Amino acid sequence: MLTLWTRVVQAAFIFLTTESIGVLLDPCGHISPESPVVQLGSNFTAVCVLKEKLPPEKPKNLNCIVNEEKNMMCQWDPGRKTYLETNYTLKSEWATEKFADCKAQRDTPNSCTLDYSPVYFVNIEVWVEAENALGNITSDHINFDPIDKVKPNPPHNLSVRSSEELSSILKLAWINPSIKSFLRLKYSIQYRTKDASTWSQIPPEDTSSTRSSFTVQDLKPFTEYVFRIRCMKEDGKGFWSDWSEEASGITYEARPSKEPSFWYKIDPSHTHGYRPVKLIWKTLPPFEANGKILDYEVTLTRWKSHFQNYRVNDTKLTVNLTNDRYIATLTARNLVGRSDASVLTIPACDFRAAHPVMDLKAFPKDNKLWVEWTAPTESVNKYILEWCVLSDKSPCIPDWQQEDGTVHLTYLRGNLMESKCYLITVTPVYADGPGSPESVRAYLKQAAPSKGPTVRTKKVGKNEAVLEWDQLPVDVQNGFIRNYTILYKTAFGNETAVNVDSSHTEYTLSSLTSDTLYMVRMAAYTDEGGMYGPDFTFTTPKFAQGEIEAIVVPVCLAFLLTTLLGVLFCFNKRDLIKKHIWPNVPDPSKSHIAQWSPHTPLRHNFNSKDQMYSDGNFTDVSVVEIEVNDKKPFPEDLKSMDLFKKEKNSTEGHSSGIGGSSCMSSSRPSISSGDENESGQNTLSTVQYSTVVHSGYRHQVPPVQVFSRSESTQPLLDSEERPEDLQLVDNVDSGDGVLPRQQYFKQNCSQHETSQDISHFERPKQVSSVNEEDFVRLKQQQISDHISQSCGSEQMKMFQEISTAAVFGPGTEGEVERFETVEMEAAIDEGMPKSYLPQTVRQGGYVPQ
Amino acid sequence: MAPFFWLPGILSLLLVLHWEHGAGSPTPDKATCTTDHPCPSNLMTQIKNQLEQLNSTANTLFVLYYTAQGEPFPSEVDKLCGGHDLTNFPPFHAEGTEKDKLVELYRIIAYFNISLGNIMEDQKTLNPNDQNLHSKLSSTADTVRGLLNNVLCHLCNEYNMGHVDMSFGPDISGNDIFHKKKLGCQCLFNYKQVIAELTQAF
Repeated sequence: MLTLWTRVVQAAFIFLTTESIGVLLDPCGHISPESPVVQLGSNFTAVCVLKEKLPPEKPKNLNCIVNEEKNMMCQWDPGRKTYLETNYTLKSEWATEKFADCKAQRDTPNSCTLDYSPVYFVNIEVWVEAENALGNITSDHINFDPIDKVKPNPPHNLSVRSSEELSSILKLAWINPSIKSFLRLKYSIQYRTKDASTWSQIPPEDTSSTRSSFTVQDLKPFTEYVFRIRCMKEDGKGFWSDWSEEASGITYEARPSKEPSFWYKIDPSHTHGYRPVKLIWKTLPPFEANGKILDYEVTLTRWKSHFQNYRVNDTKLTVNLTNDRYIATLTARNLVGRSDASVLTIPACDFRAAHPVMDLKAFPKDNKLWVEWTAPTESVNKYILEWCVLSDKSPCIPDWQQEDGTVHLTYLRGNLMESKCYLITVTPVYADGPGSPESVRAYLKQAAPSKGPTVRTKKVGKNEAVLEWDQLPVDVQNGFIRNYTILYKTAFGNETAVNVDSSHTEYTLSSLTSDTLYMVRMAAYTDEGGMYGPDFTFTTPKFAQGEIEAIVVPVCLAFLLTTLLGVLFCFNKRDLIKKHIWPNVPDPSKSHIAQWSPHTPLRHNFNSKDQMYSDGNFTDVSVVEIEVNDKKPFPEDLKSMDLFKKEKNSTEGHSSGIGGSSCMSSSRPSISSGDENESGQNTLSTVQYSTVVHSGYRHQVPPVQVFSRSESTQPLLDSEERPEDLQLVDNVDSGDGVLPRQQYFKQNCSQHETSQDISHFERPKQVSSVNEEDFVRLKQQQISDHISQSCGSEQMKMFQEISTAAVFGPGTEGEVERFETVEMEAAIDEGMPKSYLPQTVRQGGYVPQ
Repeated sequence: MAPFFWLPGILSLLLVLHWEHGAGSPTPDKATCTTDHPCPSNLMTQIKNQLEQLNSTANTLFVLYYTAQGEPFPSEVDKLCGGHDLTNFPPFHAEGTEKDKLVELYRIIAYFNISLGNIMEDQKTLNPNDQNLHSKLSSTADTVRGLLNNVLCHLCNEYNMGHVDMSFGPDISGNDIFHKKKLGCQCLFNYKQVIAELTQAF
């Protein structure tokens, strides 16, 4: 089966190679994938390109060209491709004679070249026969005289000669081709200047006959021209010969046809009445110089009589002129003659230029920089155009040119560069001197700036930033800066673009977010594009300028004012404050008790304040500074009642405590122990008091709580030992669930009553005496009130602290201060004798030993 | 082309032989007067141009020839070449009719063609390296054959003349080299004169 399929494929190839429809087919085709054997059931692709073999078509467009003295070549169009070896044969014959065939080459079946030059003036008949295996065919016959198909050899030995008589002509001469001996020719002569690229043609009618020379006219003097020539049969039949070799010649010199451009520069520095004037002029271009310029002649005329002549080979001349008006003339001289004079008026020193040109503008066009202006109303002799490259790095070195007075549009004939800023100045020159110059800037061709502007912040606010930048140096501008573009963005925000006019050098970015980093970059644009400068970042502050000051300053001022007011108030109330903070503690040695005691000689007169402090001997007296703190003042009656009540308690308690400690009384351990804190015990163990003097309170007669240190070891008085009194006190205290444990008053309620602040003991207080009967009455009233009233009252707090532990809780300082203030006022009003009463000894009390 | 260019020469030779054997006036032969294609209408102009062409190159050819032969020909050209010569061209009568002039022209050109052929053969031996001389001789011979073609075509088409009787030129074979050179120089000298006369006549 495999063999069968292989045979089928081979049969297909055979079929493809057989003749089909009368056309010969070469074996062709291939299968893909390539394989000598095709597997059964496999797919393959058979490709066959049929190349049809064709008989030759009739050659067309047969034509011949006779190259003089060389050969004759005939060409034709062979027609379609035959895919067969086809022979093309060029046949030729005279009327009476046949020539040898010319067989075309295989690679050039459309032409054949006879290797001999045909005979002129004898008609020859030419045709082409094409033949291959499928047939042959003959082209149409052409019959022609070879002389009508001739391409002559070009004229040779072309020479150019100038004429001394005429500077505008050149004489050409050449040798004609040999065919000229029996054939009339016509010519084509072309010429150009040496530097030109295009040829000019001599009019054909001037060269339509056989010749061997020709004179070319209307040429420019002292100019080198290049010539070439060709020829053909005069009647136009046949072909032009090739161009001859080029020949050149220079026309003879002529007088300079135009005066040189002439201008001057005055050095502004005057020296001794002279001014250095630099006369400058341009070399004449060759087409105006008309020869080699030998030298220039400069004439300076002053007042029409005084002449100065200079012969200069250079193009500048510096002379020192007076401040007078001068007329300068300049002529150029060559071998033939001199040019017209170029006249220039150098005005006097006091001349004031005026009448500038108007509407001066410059613009690039056709790769030239054109300058246009409107002429002044006055008659202008000529215009002087000056220009230079503006640069920050190099000075402005001007170039210049001169234009006639009728010109108002011209281009700068200098070697201008692109992307350079040119400063162009136009100065009209009048008969009496130069006019005012006008300037304009222009670019031959703009480009994008070489560098972008460097932006920076001038001021950064909470929500805005003022950006500033410097104008780009002219060297990097490369064109007119039309606008700036500022791009700014936050770290993660979109970029915002702002276009800024080129006249600005700063810009304020508004609506910024505070405390944010911004990235800014800036581009400068010319007409041809832009360039970005370096990136710049800044951070907006969290607070605006002055915002902190606006908050801090008023606060400080308020604080200062408050402080001042407080100080003033304290100063005004210093006595009251002193009374409450540092109350005067009476000297127990000067107490009435001492005076009152029958066993103790009166040592002090308590009625006299001076007497109280006159004796400074406190060696045997301990003073307890008594402070009364309470939050709220009491009504006078209630305070007095409370004080008396507390004094009762305190007196008893303290007396017993102190007495217990100092006198080692064994009857009061229940009072000084139990809930008492350690401070109380410490006090007992470290300080021995014999008497406690409690200062008075306002107008009340305070219970005397003056404890005087007792140096006696004698047991307490019976009043201390009286159980009813003690019970009474205990009952009062127990009603509040607190035992009296404080043996002295302290200032601050927040502190524990057992505080041992010694400072409280260092301030002596004057203690005033009191009537014992009053004291007893008040004591009794205090006890009854204390039982009937709640000891938890807020207003009674401080007093309760003093007397009971239950009400010894912390209180506010303000309340304490208010209370103290009132207390101090009372003390001032009533006087020391009223405030501090000497301790009274009740029934059962003790008498100091 | 050269071998085939001898075909008209052979034809002309036959005509000359016929003329020689005829020993007298030319006799047109209508039976043989056939051409492969018609002659151009400007045939006489072409004949004139050909005569001018031959005349313009005759002197150059003559100078080139005697120069190439070496001394004493350049120095004794008049004596050696312009004296009595044995190469008498057939007569030409400028006052004759166009047909007679064409017949006489044919005889002269046919005679010169044979002589030129002999000169070319001799110069191949005498001056084998003078390509310029060979080129000029060959070019002149081609032009002469073209002129013969035109004259024959014109005689045939216009006057129905198939052949022209003519006589042989002098037999220069067997002479020494100098004599061959001298005969050739005399031939070209006479040719220069004759062709100038013919150019004037037409």
